[in-house]
Amino acid sequence: MIELYAIAEQPAPDVPSPFRAVRAGSLVAVCGPADDEVTPEALWERETVLEGLMADRNLLPVRYGTRVEDEEAAARAVEERREHLAAALERVRGAVELSVRVVGEAGGAVHAPLLALARDAVVGRPQAPESHRAAYLVDRDVVQEFVDTVAALQRTTTNL
Amino acid sequence: MTTTIAQQEVALIDLVDRLLGGGVVIAGDITLAVADVDLVYVQLRALVSAVATAQEKGVLPRMGSAL
Repeated sequence: MIELYAIAEQPAPDVPSPFRAVRAGSLVAVCGPADDEVTPEALWERETVLEGLMADRNLLPVRYGTRVEDEEAAARAVEERREHLAAALERVRGAVELSVRVVGEAGGAVHAPLLALARDAVVGRPQAPESHRAAYLVDRDVVQEFVDTVAALQRTTTNL
Repeated sequence: MTTTIAQQEVALIDLVDRLLGGGVVIAGDITLAVADVDLVYVQLRALVSAVATAQEKGVLPRMGSAL
């Protein structure tokens, strides 16, 4: 049993062992060990590998805990969903997802100015003491402006 | 030191939230873990609690940041 970590596009990326980049048509399944015991170290290692890949390519992270029998099954799973996954990769092409959580009372006030800089956004349900929780899909060349705007909002918004 | 430990814990909780709340859901004939996803979730939550306990005892290994 192996775990499906992410979907990327050809050419297959170089990933450190024990991670594997499995070709599946025009797509690539990034796989890794399916550990029976979850440890912080294993989670951070997974995160580090994925963040490394995200730095210079479009990537769809796969929901944690998604397992397949072997590499052949991983390739088959991706190819069977090729159309859906390719469309999802197209949606995020050239962008990154940035999570924003606001702790304080005035969280809603940050949404409009941040949404104006984003390609898309998903607003989640804030968990106390948060007042705003959202993920913004931001073009890579707008990331700095987005980060600057968050910093400015932090300075100028009261009760934040 | 206390702040650093708190930040590490928040970073891990953030990571767990992201792993479970984000990402492409591949449904159908794919197994969502040997245990189903709810059990994975419980296991990860237990992990976060264990980390918090380890921090209180001062035996926590160093972790990276969330971003």
